Formats: sequence, structure tokens, C-alpha cells
Amino acid sequence: MARYVMVTDLTKCVGCQACTVACDTEWDVPLGFARTHVRFTGVSGTFPDLISSFHVAQCNHCDRPACIAPCPTGATYQAENGIVRVDKDLCIGCGYCVDACPYESRYINPVTKKVDKCDFCASRLEKGLEPTCVATCTAHAKFFGDLEDRSSEVFKLVYEKGARRLETAEVAIGPNVYYLGKKEHLDLVLASFAPHPPRMVRAGEWWSKVVKPLVLTAIGATFLGQAVAFFSQLRTGEKEFDE
Amino acid sequence: MGSKLTRRAFLGRSATGTLGAAAVATTTEKARATEGSPGWRGSTRVTQIATNCEMCFWRCGVLAEVANGKVVKLQGNPDHPLTKGRLCARGNAGIDLLYDPDRLKQPLLRTGARGEGQFKPISWDQALDFFAARLQDLKQKYGPESVAFFPHGVASSFFVTLLKAFGTPHSAEPAFAQCRGPREVGYALTFGSGLGSPEPVDLEESRLIVLIGTHIGENVFTSQVTAFAEALSRGAKLIVVDPRFSTAASKADWWLPIRPGTDLALLLAWMNVFVTEGIYDKEYIARYGQGLTELEAHVREFTPEWAEPITEIPAAQIRATAHAMGEAKPAVALHPGRHTTWYGDDTQRARAMAILTALLGSWGRKGGIFLPTAIKTGQFSLPPFPESKRGRADGAGTTFPLASEEQGVTNGMVKATITGQPYPIKSWIVYGQNVLESIPQREKTLDAIKQLELMVVVDLLPVEQTRYADLVLPEATYLERYDVPHIAESTKQPFVAVRQPIVEPLYDTKPGWWIAKQMASRLGLEAYFPWDNPDQHLAKLIEPLGASLAELKARGAIAFEGRPYLDERVPADGPLFPTPSGKIELSSSTLKQLGFDPLPRYTPVVDPPLGYLRLIYGRAPVHSFARSENNALLDSLMPENEAWINSAVARDLRLSDGQRVILQNQDGVKSLPVRVRVTAGIRRDCLYMVHGFGQESPALRRAYRHGASDTRLMSRVSIDPVIGSTGMRVNFVRVLQSEEAS
Repeated sequence: MARYVMVTDLTKCVGCQACTVACDTEWDVPLGFARTHVRFTGVSGTFPDLISSFHVAQCNHCDRPACIAPCPTGATYQAENGIVRVDKDLCIGCGYCVDACPYESRYINPVTKKVDKCDFCASRLEKGLEPTCVATCTAHAKFFGDLEDRSSEVFKLVYEKGARRLETAEVAIGPNVYYLGKKEHLDLVLASFAPHPPRMVRAGEWWSKVVKPLVLTAIGATFLGQAVAFFSQLRTGEKEFDE
Repeated sequence: MGSKLTRRAFLGRSATGTLGAAAVATTTEKARATEGSPGWRGSTRVTQIATNCEMCFWRCGVLAEVANGKVVKLQGNPDHPLTKGRLCARGNAGIDLLYDPDRLKQPLLRTGARGEGQFKPISWDQALDFFAARLQDLKQKYGPESVAFFPHGVASSFFVTLLKAFGTPHSAEPAFAQCRGPREVGYALTFGSGLGSPEPVDLEESRLIVLIGTHIGENVFTSQVTAFAEALSRGAKLIVVDPRFSTAASKADWWLPIRPGTDLALLLAWMNVFVTEGIYDKEYIARYGQGLTELEAHVREFTPEWAEPITEIPAAQIRATAHAMGEAKPAVALHPGRHTTWYGDDTQRARAMAILTALLGSWGRKGGIFLPTAIKTGQFSLPPFPESKRGRADGAGTTFPLASEEQGVTNGMVKATITGQPYPIKSWIVYGQNVLESIPQREKTLDAIKQLELMVVVDLLPVEQTRYADLVLPEATYLERYDVPHIAESTKQPFVAVRQPIVEPLYDTKPGWWIAKQMASRLGLEAYFPWDNPDQHLAKLIEPLGASLAELKARGAIAFEGRPYLDERVPADGPLFPTPSGKIELSSSTLKQLGFDPLPRYTPVVDPPLGYLRLIYGRAPVHSFARSENNALLDSLMPENEAWINSAVARDLRLSDGQRVILQNQDGVKSLPVRVRVTAGIRRDCLYMVHGFGQESPALRRAYRHGASDTRLMSRVSIDPVIGSTGMRVNFVRVLQSEEAS
């Protein structure tokens, strides 16, 4: 089975946002939201010894995705090729996965009320097309392919050129979007946009907001039902007694 | 999980390629929507049509996808020889120009005062009858030369023909006097021919790229960005000369944050190192060059030590970068720039860059500047155009002897309109440009407009200038119309590419060709438009190319073999260097003859007055000039511009990042409120803004008063004596805090 990965070469990326707009139109992303977007680290250093970099962000299709466990309905799942996908029929738009994602790669689509995010343009892949962001990239800075295919471009970029995962000691869940660049630039990107720890606390909230009320309602209903039965029996009993 | 994927898997591809009469490349049955797929990806039939883009003027190849009569997706055309399937943010966002709810929707006749924006809708027949009657009237009263045309872009060519046929020589494009003029003339004086667009810089093969004020990456022309990034990835070195830490500077091996306006001093110092240390291409210069002795004598005094206090670049760094160029020659891509009207000595600066290119042996060599290859197209035989006895009124060819008479001098035309000298200019016809944003000294432009008896604007959107027009003609966008094909000769692989309608024009809009042709028949000039429809026009043009109309329309473009390097040229390509001497003119005989410096020299720049910063400006990758700010997608990515201010200066002025301020220039002109970007990435003596914002038309509901206009702050210009172009980086601004601002 394939292991799909994306490699973005930040030495080439000029931050032009072609990827962002191509993705927006490919997926009808509502204005103000994004499945992929370009961030700027800002300039650091002392004039004239300055550095800055862009960072192209999207779903990382992690080896150990933080977004699957919090999903109460099983809508988020990982395909065998590594692509993390959302079954829109099952998604209830609760947003727990949005909070859980350390890379802030998900959003709730205000039109469909469902969660949305990059799926490596799965429907284009099925037609033998590259993801739209890769196809349009003006700097030819984005590469997509199968990391298990030793002849692939991404294999070379990861294993020979040393493309890096954007992870920290605290958050190491195996992101499958890799970055090439000078060390100082990648360090700056990581410092500026470090993944936050997966907010599994939301799983607790899932308990307190959904499961607990449900259980309590169930208990309450049972109790109420019993009470009704009791009183009805009582009344019936009275009738019987009358007779 | 695998079964889930299978269940949703693509149902199968049934391609039914139907070429021919309908301009259809391929028709593909798309799959049922998978997760997240927008509705149009559903069971509809999606048609792909090839065309070329007009979100800027690079004309990248596009495949437009249409579902249920709507354009749903624009993507790059992989068959396009130049852009090979890639498309920038603006190109991808073209849909939101087509479906912009603020578009001009019907012809409008002005009812209120100029500038008020009061109009009544009229029919096309009424509009064109009015237009033709007024033109005939003006011709009678003042002569045909009283009509001036302000075009931009290839799409204007039908109007160029119309107005030439009408009898006016006056076409004035900001593409010359506010943009590429200096470089075209500077390089032509040196090599005999200019550069054209796209500029033929061989980034692909370069070992070293030199950018002087050029900000590739922020200025996005798709294929240029691709070649630039590929070159860097290959290991090409990069020198960036810019007062601002641009995207390109962030990737540079050498960033030279030059003192603004002193580029010529740096260029002369580089020449000095080349000739004194003998690191220029001696064989090349001996074979092709002329004027080396004069050049050697001229640059002797301009040492790096001389240039250091002027440019504020250390002499050692000037030497080091010169040596890097010497080592990489001739594969040095010294980019000639594009917007080159900066300080008024711009033609001479372009000359200096051309001379350096020659010393490096880069012209016509791999990795340098490559040569165009002509394409022979078919021509209609038209009646000769009437000749004007009065000559041009804007100074092109007279006051400014080397200004292009094809493209004219916009600011010269503004002046002639105000003064009525040498004779009255009474009508402006504006197409594809926004004269209030493209020409500096806005007050003068408005003064000129007051003198007009007829102003007609052909436009897509209700931009500010439309409010001053007597007649507004709403044009169809590039996705709804046919245009003259792109005959690309200044590309390595020359090609012809079509622009064809993807959908029918929306509202009551019409394509430019139709408007021009209709006007021609109303003015009795039908003979200049001897074709009935775009297909006939296109068929004639491509007649000698050996390609069928259907093939061209289906693929979008047809490429030919190029001869981009000197050693591949054949006699049919003409002389290698069509200068007066037939050689590369290091010392220009033409300039000498006209009484200008035959070799460029540095004129000291004036520093900003105390408390002021020099206003510099440029581009952002998601916007095109002042054209795209109302585009919903692009607006969502960049709704306003910012005023970049050095962090030390900001600290002194107590400015914080994101704060809104007003800028006031040396003449008291104030800007709209604009956010401050506090950054270490700019020198302390200048302030940078992206051009195109601060639009003043309330009918542009997204862009209205978003950010501030740099053009508005350009009340001063420095005129280039050789070509009349406007140096625009000669304005100074101070920052007014909000309470002061009111």
C-alpha cells in the first residue's frame, strides 16, 4: 500500500499563495477559511543580517493522527494509503477534531456545517492527477508522491535531501508533510508555528458535554419511566382495590 | 477502511474529446462527489477549454472548467509552452473577476457632473451612435489628432487599429512612460533591440542571478517565478540590490540594501572592477563591442571606494559581488527589471545595466539574456492609415527624441491636454488601464480631464475613472471574449496562444473586438476590419503556421523552434546588433549625437527632508496593479496594503505594528488610513507600500478605501530627459498619527 506524503521546498517557495487559491476553487472553500494556506514568519535578526521564511500549512496526514480519537461518530478515519479523511455523512460538525489537531489544519465549513480539511485532493489522485496545489505551484516547490516507492521524487527528497518533519519533542505524531530548506529557516518556521500539544482535554469535554448528559438523560428517563409505571400501577392498583 | 475508499472510488473516466466547431478541448465525465467535494464536482459534465489569462499581462496558459454553464475552476494548461500548467494566485482567482457582482453591466451615459458617478443606462446602439457622432464632431472641430487613446495590454489592439484608421497618432500607454520605457530604450541603444515582454532573461540556465530593485516572488509572473526558483534549487547564486528585505532578498547569497536612488553609482563601480581587473569577457567585447576605450576612461574614477559612501554598500562587498559575476560569466542573468521609471535618470541606468550585460558577455548567451525568434503570421491587407501632418502632441519623438511613438508619453499627453499645446486634445478614450492610478500627479490628470469634451472609458469594473467618463462601455472579461492571440517571440520557444471565450458575456457586456468593429462601421472604417467574426480573424493570422484552427483552439497554444543564442542565429534573423555601428555600443553613438551622455553617469540624489521617508513601492503576489483589489478571493487574502517602516524609526515615532496612520507627502497630500508594518526588513530612510490599494470608487464594494494609494502621494515626478518617462521614487512622506490625521 502506498504511503502518500507531500514535500514543500521552502528554499523555492516565494509565498505567492497560488496553492491557497487553487485549493479554494478546487474545493469551494468559503471566503476566510482555508484547507491550505501560506504563513510568513516575519523578519528576524538585526539589519542587515536578517532571515525570514514562508510556511505552507495543511493537514499533515500524521502517522498517529490526533484527530481520530476525539471524533464521536467515527467520521474522521485514516485510509490505508495514509490519507486522513472525513466521511461527511457521519460528521456532525462538533469541532472536537478541529481543537485536537496540533497543526490547526481543520475548520468547520459554515455552509455545510461539517468539518473540512486537506485530503491531498483524494478525488484528483483517483483520476491520476496531482493535488491541485502541487500542480499550480509557481515555484515548483511542492512535491507529492508515495514514500514507499523508492523511485519517487519524494523518496529522494526525504531520504537523500533530508526533508524534515515539522515536529517537536512534545508533539511527535509523525506528520507526512515534509519541508526542505536551510536549517536556520526550518528552525525559524518551527519556532514560529510549532504544533501545539493535541488537545485531548477535549476528549474529556466530549465526556462532559455529550456522553454525560446522554447518560444522565437516560438515567433520568428510566427513573421517570419507572415513576410513571409506579404511579400508573398505583392507580390501576387502586382500581383493583375498588373492585 | 480500504473498503470505504473503494466504495467512494472514482467511477471511471469517459473522455469524449470533441474538437472542432465548439471550442472544446476535452469533455470529461466527472465522478460523484467524494468527501468535501463541492457540488460542481458532482455528476455534472465538466468541459475544459484552453485559453490564456489576463489577470495580469504575462498571459499564462489556462484550462477553464465549465459545469452547467458556469466557470467553476481555472487551472494551468499543461500544454502551454511557457507556463506548463502552472498558474499564480490571481490566475486561479479569475473566476471572481468574471462573477464579481460589482461589474459594469450595461453602457452608461453620464447625467451628473464629472466625478459624481451619476449615470443612466442606455442601449449599445444608443451608446455607439453617441460615441461615433461625438468623434465625428470633434474631428470636424479640432482634427482627428484631438482624440487620444490610453490603452494597456494586447486586448487593446482592435482599438489601436480603429483609432489609427480614424486618423489620430495618439496612443499613450503607461507601459512605456510609467513602466518599461527606460529599459526598452536603454537596451536598444546598446544592443540595437529592446527586450519585449516576457523579458527574455535566461534564468533557467543561469549560474548567477542579479536583481536590482526587481522583486521576483512578490512580483509574480508564473514562468519567471518557476525559472527563478528552479535556478536557486539548482545552486545558482543570487545577488539582490534592494533597500527592502524582499522575498528575493531573503533567498539571496548577497543582499545589498542600497541607499535608494544610487543604483547607478553601484553599477559604475561594478564596471570599474570589471575593466580595471580585466574580468570582463574580452573575447566577446573584442568581437562584438565598440567603445571600450571610452568606457575604461569613463569608469576609472568610479571605484568601489568612491561608491561606498554614496550607496552605503561596503567597497569590499561591491568587489566581492563583481568577482562573483566575473566567475559566473557569461551565465549571469542580470535582470533588466520591468517597472524601471524611478529617479528620472532611468534610461541611463538601464544603459548601465546593458553595458554590464555586455561586459559579462551575457547578451545572446546561455544563462544571460536570450534572443527573440520571429514568428511569421498572416496579415490582412488593410488600406493605408491616414497620416497626421501635425505630429504627436505628447513629445514622443520631438521633446523626448527616443520615446516610443507607438506607445507615447502618457504624462506628455496629460500636459498637452491641460495646455492645449501644441494643439488641443479634446477627447480621451481609455481602455484596460486606470489613468488615475497608473499615471502619477493625479491632480494634473484630473485637470486634464476637465478640459475634455469627450471621455469614454471601456472597462470591466466601476473604477474611479469611470465616474469622470461621459460614456462608460462595459467590456466582457477575458473569460468571455476572443482577443488577438499571443504571438510570443521573446520566449525561448516562440509560440502562438489563443484567448477564446469560455462562457457567453454576462449581463449586457460586449467583447472589445465587437465594440471596435461596430465603431468602425459607424465611422465608415469597415475596410480596416475585413473579417466577420473572431474565427476568420484568427484563421488569417495563423495561416502561415501550418496549424489548424481547431487544433490551436483545442490545445490553446502551438510552439515553434527558437534560436535563442547568438551562435544559433541564421541570416534570416537579421543583423545580430542592429545599432548604428552594427556592434554592441558600450558608448552610445545615438545619445552622443542627440547631445546626451554617451556613457552613463551618476547624478546625486536628494535625501529626504528631516522627518520624512522616501516613498518606495512595489507589488504583492496576489494582486495586479490596481485591477484585482475587488476580487473576492484575492481580497480575502490581502484586503489592504501596509506601510513598511523600519523598526528603529517606528520606535522613534512611537508607532506600533498594525496601527493605522495617515501619510502626508512633501506637498501636503494625504493618504487614506493605512496600517503600519513594523519590520527590520527595510532601511531607515524609506517607506514601502504595495501599489494598487486605496481605491476611491464606492461602487467597488470590497476594495473601497481599503488601504492607501501610493500613486496619490506622487505629486512630484522626475522626468527622464531622453524618453520623457516619470521617475516616481522622488516623493517623501511623513507619518501622521491618527489624532494628527484628522
